[in-house]
Amino acid sequence: MENQKSKIGVYICHCGGNISDYVDIEKVKNLIAREEGVHLVNNMMFTCSDSAQVDIVNDIKENNLDGMVVASCSPKLHLLTFRDVAKRAGLNQYNYIHANIREQCSWAHSDKTELATDKAVRIIRAAISKVRLSETLEQIEIPAINTAVVVGAGVSGMRSAIELADQGTNVYLIEKDHFVGGRVSQWGKLFPTEEPGENLVERLYHKVKERENITLFTGAEIKAVNGSVGNFELDVHITPRYINGMCDEAIQDQVLKACHAEVDDEFNFGLTKRKAIYKNYPNAYPETPVVDMDLCDKCGECLKICDGRITLDQKEENISIKAGAILLNTGFDPYEPKEGEYGYKQVDNVITLQQFKRLIESNGDKLVYNGKKIRDIAYIYCVGSRDAKGENKHCSRYCCTSAIHTAVDAKTKFKNIRNYHVTRGIRTYGKQETLFTDSSRQGDTYFQFFEGAMPTVENENGKALIKVKDALTQNEDIEFTADLVVLVTGMVARKDENLVNIFKVPVGSDKFYNEIHNKLRPVETVIEGLFIAGGCQSPKNIRATMASTLAASAKANSLIQSGMIALEPIVAKVNPELCEWCGACDDLCTYNAFEKVEYEGKTVAKVNEAMCKGCGACTPVCPTNAIDVVSLSDTEIETMIDSFVRDVEFATTTTEEKADSFAEVVDFEKQVRVLPELSQRILDSLETEPKAIPDIAKELGVAADDVLYHLMSLRKYGMIKDTDEINEDEYYLYELKK
Amino acid sequence: MSRLNPDFSTKLKKYGAFDTSLCYNCGNCTAICSLSDKKNSFPRMMVRASVIGMEDKITSSLDPWMCYYCGECSTSCPRQANPGELMMSLRRWLSAKYDWTGLSGLLYRSLPISLLAFLLTAVAVIFYSFKLNFNVETIMHFGHQFEMFAIITVFAIIILPNVFRMWWSVIIKPKVKVPLKAYFKGAGDLFVHMFTQKRTLGCDDSQARWFMHMVLVFGYLALLFTTVVLDWLGTDNMFIIILGYVESIVIFAITFIFMAGRIKRNKELNKFSQPSDWFFVIWLFLMGFTAFIVRIFIDLNIIENNLWMYLFHLIILAQWAVLIVPFGKWTHFIYRSFAMYFDKITETIK
Repeated sequence: MENQKSKIGVYICHCGGNISDYVDIEKVKNLIAREEGVHLVNNMMFTCSDSAQVDIVNDIKENNLDGMVVASCSPKLHLLTFRDVAKRAGLNQYNYIHANIREQCSWAHSDKTELATDKAVRIIRAAISKVRLSETLEQIEIPAINTAVVVGAGVSGMRSAIELADQGTNVYLIEKDHFVGGRVSQWGKLFPTEEPGENLVERLYHKVKERENITLFTGAEIKAVNGSVGNFELDVHITPRYINGMCDEAIQDQVLKACHAEVDDEFNFGLTKRKAIYKNYPNAYPETPVVDMDLCDKCGECLKICDGRITLDQKEENISIKAGAILLNTGFDPYEPKEGEYGYKQVDNVITLQQFKRLIESNGDKLVYNGKKIRDIAYIYCVGSRDAKGENKHCSRYCCTSAIHTAVDAKTKFKNIRNYHVTRGIRTYGKQETLFTDSSRQGDTYFQFFEGAMPTVENENGKALIKVKDALTQNEDIEFTADLVVLVTGMVARKDENLVNIFKVPVGSDKFYNEIHNKLRPVETVIEGLFIAGGCQSPKNIRATMASTLAASAKANSLIQSGMIALEPIVAKVNPELCEWCGACDDLCTYNAFEKVEYEGKTVAKVNEAMCKGCGACTPVCPTNAIDVVSLSDTEIETMIDSFVRDVEFATTTTEEKADSFAEVVDFEKQVRVLPELSQRILDSLETEPKAIPDIAKELGVAADDVLYHLMSLRKYGMIKDTDEINEDEYYLYELKK
Repeated sequence: MSRLNPDFSTKLKKYGAFDTSLCYNCGNCTAICSLSDKKNSFPRMMVRASVIGMEDKITSSLDPWMCYYCGECSTSCPRQANPGELMMSLRRWLSAKYDWTGLSGLLYRSLPISLLAFLLTAVAVIFYSFKLNFNVETIMHFGHQFEMFAIITVFAIIILPNVFRMWWSVIIKPKVKVPLKAYFKGAGDLFVHMFTQKRTLGCDDSQARWFMHMVLVFGYLALLFTTVVLDWLGTDNMFIIILGYVESIVIFAITFIFMAGRIKRNKELNKFSQPSDWFFVIWLFLMGFTAFIVRIFIDLNIIENNLWMYLFHLIILAQWAVLIVPFGKWTHFIYRSFAMYFDKITETIK
């Protein structure tokens, strides 16, 4: 083939023994050097070290290399490192290929070192053949609108909207409810400041309103999304409030009273009723109440009091907005216990923690539920969480803290109540541990059960009877009655399959949205330009939610603010000559990357480079073989396979060569080690007394690094061990293991 | 199936217990206790039983008596729940529970009632002396007879029935089957522990505590014997007189050290003195000290003109004999020994 790379540099990493202990680097080097196109082969203790990187850069420059292979660990760890090395040396980063000879070779075959060496050679050969064919590629640049859509105006959504706006990005803040604040507005006092959730919502709302580049939509639902990163287009359906501004408070109260249509108040988790004209709570924002048209029977009572402002004939509307990036801050649902789960909906006085929080908020001096005064309260923990065999295997993290905080709060507010916590072990991690102490100090009693023996709740003379096999009392069965049973329910993913379908956002087995990488890329999704934060991703407390939402807004802003987005060029390409548009690729593509275009009088498929992830799923389904993924073409893959399957011809090695590296020291048949010379000298030196590395190096007249390498190998083979002593320079002493 | 009784720990606080609900069941107390073993695992289980209010479990348990209060559990408690003092409170509560008269509990719970009882006893002694016309000889004769009479009565009416009740609650009620032979086999242990308290040596703190305590027990029992049987205050026998002096000095010297410790709070076990602890140690001191002075007054021949001194001694003696011995801290001498005995005879069964 033409354009084949002919001056390739191959760098083989010892990984400090991780590779070189099992793979015979010298042998590999010799074999690789014979490969076509290879100009030089080098081995290094750690290729990723700064000094090694500098050496590689110099090598490439001096020898004018046109391709590079690094054979070391997984590309997941260091692909970007060496792309950077290539860039610094003036080599196109796509003319560098990574060969993984650690995870896929030395670690996996540590028991068969000769075969590991054989496999390493094949892996590197495959990489070389790929480099030979590699093209010089540039990243794809696409224009981006510096506008972000933030879905959900809870504390998380509002916080990220503010942050994005301050960084110069325009924001559309979209809220399904008619009031902002989400879950936090339902929560009452929060630990540790004891500030009510309402206050946080109020503060954030005013900041949102202060910023001209944030547009807030309430009663708004996203119906469809088109386009891709940089240029999303969203269809949003908006339900009006049916009220234009509001009269003064006195009239507002009259209107709320005059309305007679009632329904269970979702905001109070069904504990109370609300009217057709309503606000979630008196200080809810935006301040204007809303008319629930599904409930309103248009009796006209409200119009008699406040005509002109209330306009029941407002129309629902659909708008279309454009944005460069989307942030999902859609939050979570509290777990709804199944009927009969711990007596829920079967035994009177069994409620959820979230309901109890609303109950505390809505009660005055005395705690009353269903007309009965409450004294003894039992809290049953981990309801709908940590269920090893059920749907929700996760720990929701916030519930222990929240339940205990609520118990302390309730005890502070209603003096003569008594709290009983039936737990599966308390997880008030971090600073929240002080809450647990507060709760103990105020006299709360704790029980602990295990998953195998769940507590039960039954009815006993109008009270709830709780039975628990208490691990803290030698698994004795203990029973007690309570006036109220609070089920401490965890967080589950919101029931919003609609959004999942629209955005095609990946969900985990726990139904929460999934990020790309749990640790390294925690707020990005596999869909470029779509970010997730807060409770929709996993159970989080407010603090963790804020951290993730700020991270997401920073990521979104940095992606779109320059007006340009650089994307990986490794995408599918359709050869229009061959394509006959059958639609098979389009049906299959998860990312909606295909579009129909006209080419020389026929309809063919074209790939939207901004949406394609280069997954390659389309290539095998194409009946005319018209699709190839850039840098992963059939030719490249086939050549790699050929290089991989070709036999490795080992030259017979001499004894001297054998002693060169630790990989040689095993005489397979006799299972005897032939030690390298330096190792033997170190052992002889340690014969007399325990010594430190610098002392041995000095004595033998060799570099300390070499001693270290041999010493570590000797230790691994159980021939020496470290003493717990140190010498006067604070170096550890090593001795022979007898 | 046990029913939760949250009021129990409130009740226990009157016996000196601390905030038991602070316990988070880490078990450090049991781990550090050098006396706790597989059979008698404490104090955590007792703390837990107190929190839950498992009265039956506590009443049938010997664990509170198995603890000799070195205080290590309290010092190592990460929650300051004070398990050591809880065990002490449980001993008080158990003593009250064993006592059929109910007076024990009343005196433990209420300082005013205790003071009133002490006052009434003093008034009774003075009143009776008034009836005897404050005649030294008759009063001293009465005092000597009172001692013998009190010992027999208190034992017969209070101590023995209470020990019987203890046996009932730890062996009969929980249906522990003890073969008759075991009762005889274990009898030796009863006396060994009664007179040596050798289990204290298992505690990690200073062995001096055990030694002083044992000397005090012997001194006390010896002085009791010397005054009751050998009639120390009435004898002319030089040997007996000197013996009595030595014994009373031993008593008030050691109790003085114990008192000083409680004032200085120099050890964990001294830190939280309840009125019952103070009564016990002060009255023991006063017993030794007043007996010593009375005998000096007799030897100097000035007792006839200083009858008040003997009356003072007699008041102390009476309060000791009718209040502290049957209903106060003195009973631990009996209950501890029997606890060791019951533990021994149930050893093979559990």
